[in-house]
Amino acid sequence: MKILVAEDDELMLKMLEFRLKKDGHEVIVTHDGREALDKIDELMPDLVITDIMMPYMSGLEIIGAVKARHPGTMPVIIISGMGQETVVLEAFQLGADDFITKPFSPNELSVRVKRFEKAVYA
Amino acid sequence: MVLGSLVVSLRTLGLIIFVFTNMILIILAFMLIYMVWRKAHEKNFSKYRMLSGLHIRRTVFYDGQIDPETGIPLTRRLKRMIVKKIFRRLFTEELISAKKNINGAAAINLKHLYHQLTLESYALKKLSRDHWHIKAKAIQELTLMDMRELKEELFAYTHDRNELVRMEAQVAMVQFNGFEGLRFLDTITYSISEWQQIKLLQKLSNLPPVHIEIDGWLKSSNSSVVVFALKLARNYHRFELHDIIITCLDHSDAQIRLQAIHCLGVIYTDETSVHLISRFWREGLPHQLAMISALQNIGSEKDNTFLGTLLHNDNYEIKLNAARALASNGLKGQAVLMDHGASDDQLNNIITQVRGEIAA
Amino acid sequence: MNWQVVIFDIFSYALLGYAVMLLTIYVTIGFFSIGETRSYLRKNSFTDYRVLASSPDAPSISVLAPAHNEGATIIDNVRSLLSLNYINLEVIVINDGSTDDSLEKLIEAYDLYELVYFVNAKIETQQVKAVYKSHNPVYKKLIVVDKVKGGKADALNVGINISKNDYLVSIDVDCVLEQDALLRLAKPFLERTDKRVIATGGVLRIVNSCDIEGGRLVKINLPEEFLPRVQTLEYIRAFLLSRMAWTRLNGLLLISGAFGAFDKEIVIKCGGYNNQTVGEDMEMVVRMRRYMEEKKERYKVAFIPDPLCWTEAPATYKNLGRQRNRWTRGTIETLYTHRKMFFNPKYHVLGMVSYPYWLFFEFLAPIVETIGFLAFLLFCFIGQVTWSCFFIMMSIFSIGVLYSIFAILMEVLTYNQYKQKKDILRLLLVAIAEPIFFHPFVVGSAIKGNFDILRKKNSWGEMTRRGFTHLRKIKT
Repeated sequence: MKILVAEDDELMLKMLEFRLKKDGHEVIVTHDGREALDKIDELMPDLVITDIMMPYMSGLEIIGAVKARHPGTMPVIIISGMGQETVVLEAFQLGADDFITKPFSPNELSVRVKRFEKAVYA
Repeated sequence: MVLGSLVVSLRTLGLIIFVFTNMILIILAFMLIYMVWRKAHEKNFSKYRMLSGLHIRRTVFYDGQIDPETGIPLTRRLKRMIVKKIFRRLFTEELISAKKNINGAAAINLKHLYHQLTLESYALKKLSRDHWHIKAKAIQELTLMDMRELKEELFAYTHDRNELVRMEAQVAMVQFNGFEGLRFLDTITYSISEWQQIKLLQKLSNLPPVHIEIDGWLKSSNSSVVVFALKLARNYHRFELHDIIITCLDHSDAQIRLQAIHCLGVIYTDETSVHLISRFWREGLPHQLAMISALQNIGSEKDNTFLGTLLHNDNYEIKLNAARALASNGLKGQAVLMDHGASDDQLNNIITQVRGEIAA
Repeated sequence: MNWQVVIFDIFSYALLGYAVMLLTIYVTIGFFSIGETRSYLRKNSFTDYRVLASSPDAPSISVLAPAHNEGATIIDNVRSLLSLNYINLEVIVINDGSTDDSLEKLIEAYDLYELVYFVNAKIETQQVKAVYKSHNPVYKKLIVVDKVKGGKADALNVGINISKNDYLVSIDVDCVLEQDALLRLAKPFLERTDKRVIATGGVLRIVNSCDIEGGRLVKINLPEEFLPRVQTLEYIRAFLLSRMAWTRLNGLLLISGAFGAFDKEIVIKCGGYNNQTVGEDMEMVVRMRRYMEEKKERYKVAFIPDPLCWTEAPATYKNLGRQRNRWTRGTIETLYTHRKMFFNPKYHVLGMVSYPYWLFFEFLAPIVETIGFLAFLLFCFIGQVTWSCFFIMMSIFSIGVLYSIFAILMEVLTYNQYKQKKDILRLLLVAIAEPIFFHPFVVGSAIKGNFDILRKKNSWGEMTRRGFTHLRKIKT
């Protein structure tokens, strides 16, 4: 799968990239909301993973934009910090497909991403 | 130079200029040296960061069992660099940052890495320094890297002279002992700040919930302990404590009463609203608004009459929030709202606004 | 005894005394600010602000952003406010009777619709024309208010009336904020158990010539033009040295309206912002302090030295003059309104130290300087020793430059926003140029301010906002 990751924490971003590449996915890395949306339109990934709190544009805006522009074809997984339940609920209301809380287990991420793999290639 | 009888000789002036100019030059020299020194170091930072990042990622994604003999494979280069203070500081920061974001098997690997490089020995050395901020940072480091083997040593710092050191030590105790680590609440005489309470709650939220006795804290003579206990009750849905929380509604401390009201919005029985309403009129505005907000969540049909009377209160905010509460109280609540609204223009505006909020 | 000599004596000793006191104050400020800044930085070194970002117990904040004819950048600025790292937040943009298309732009960009909203006037204000929210749930933190023009204080009061959260953050809508700004501003309110923190101020930095993208600071550059550059130095002195020092004494009187957080309950109890003065930000803080003193409640006004808010500085002498004139009038109005506190022990540090300091060394300083300078010139003419004149000038000059250089040193050692050696060199050159090309002008504007207030001039003056569009490398 072609996966786009939006995350402003450099270390986190590299780790996500590493894990997903190891699983055999093609990974597009972006550091903020605007860059993410630009690349989404340009490269049309199969899955988007985005942090909720990011500069320029919050993750919620990204979900909104993705669901508006590419309904049904581009699932979105959000990453949130512990305790941000209200934000997670908002994300789901906007159409997010899954969420992961930090601190997270890379293996868990791997498994969650796999779920969408089946859906894409179904 | 003569100004009246104030004689300022040229020499004095010259001396003043000389002194100050010299001071300027000294500062300039110092600044220059400092900037050159720092620049030289910063050149290395990106190299250091790459090296750290590489090793940390490798550790996170290390599959399989870690051999107790050899541990995680480390390059000679890393072992050589780690003794250098500047690299070590950066590496430790990156390691901690990673550990904060990761849990599970990967996190355990990171802890192994920390231990293998004996980084905790450096942190322990810092604990014996005098400066409070160095001690506090070291305690925090050991906490974040989950060095529970050292919990005995760290316990002593919960009684440190410095408030910030104590706070870090308390967080450490919670990290290592879970909810039992909160036992210090039994005996403290000073107040815990809101910030500290937030940190403790955050630490607890990362741990699996354990049922511990918090009744004692709810009756503590230390107000901040009571407030913290109320937050615990709220966060962990301790329904069995409902009756004690009701007694907090009568506490002399306003902050406690407010927190109790918030808590009851989450922990309630069908009698709770009666308790709130019976105390409504002796409270000030902020408490009253909190009560109405709680009623919005926990209110039922029998409360509609009371809320209806509030619609005619002098205070606008009370009217507005009472309307909101009624509107969320089912069809009967809305009917009461419409009834009262029939006569009053201002009230009608409020009702329209509230209905707009719900529709949105 | 020659009466002329007596007059000269009194005069010259008075001037000397004033100068010595000022010098002592500078030195004291230097020491206090080092202590306070170092203390803050140390505490900061192990503070994880992200804990606040995800806590439901974090203080609820309403950001109030009055806007007047900010059409050029308002969309981006509002978006960057909405993406600030904070959960329990509402962003209230108050359109203060703009004559440009600010409101239309906002309505379009954020999909706004008009609410039926009955504004509860806790504080009296000019009429509110409409209140807007967004259809799009992504922007649910945003509220836009359209009102009849009433000035900044009035707009802020409207914001207060509408806000539902416990703390207010007042900002200028064209300021660029750091992502974590609100987290850092909120923390001081949570730390004290003995005193109530009623307000927190933050540092303002100069954004001229910085690279801005989409309302966010991308790269920091030293301003290219002389006037903003000089003000950069000035702001470093004022914020890093002076305000940090005053915070240590708990005597801080001024939190800039462009960036500050306030406890809403106290603000409302004080009656909101005073719209009869052009210095509404200073007046608010003084009034809040006075209220707490009169209530005999322990309190603190906090200040954070982190560079969190970047603002545009006037780049023309005309705009600069207007600004300084306004600041002077604001200071005078505030000092006059609260004159009861002057050396009044009932007001503790506020009345015995802060107020007298502002009166003698902020308000009076330009006046004393001007008189001193004129008198000095006079002596030089009627006296014969021009070398002494020159040496005295040099002494004063070198003291001023030393203070500036000390400020630059503090900046280099702490936040080091200007990393290139050539930028520091430029700042040093500016420190030398300032007393000649900048300071006299500022003093002159202050004097004019004094005259203007005597003639009861009461306006803000329209500072033409050039927006960020002319600054280099703008991408939207």
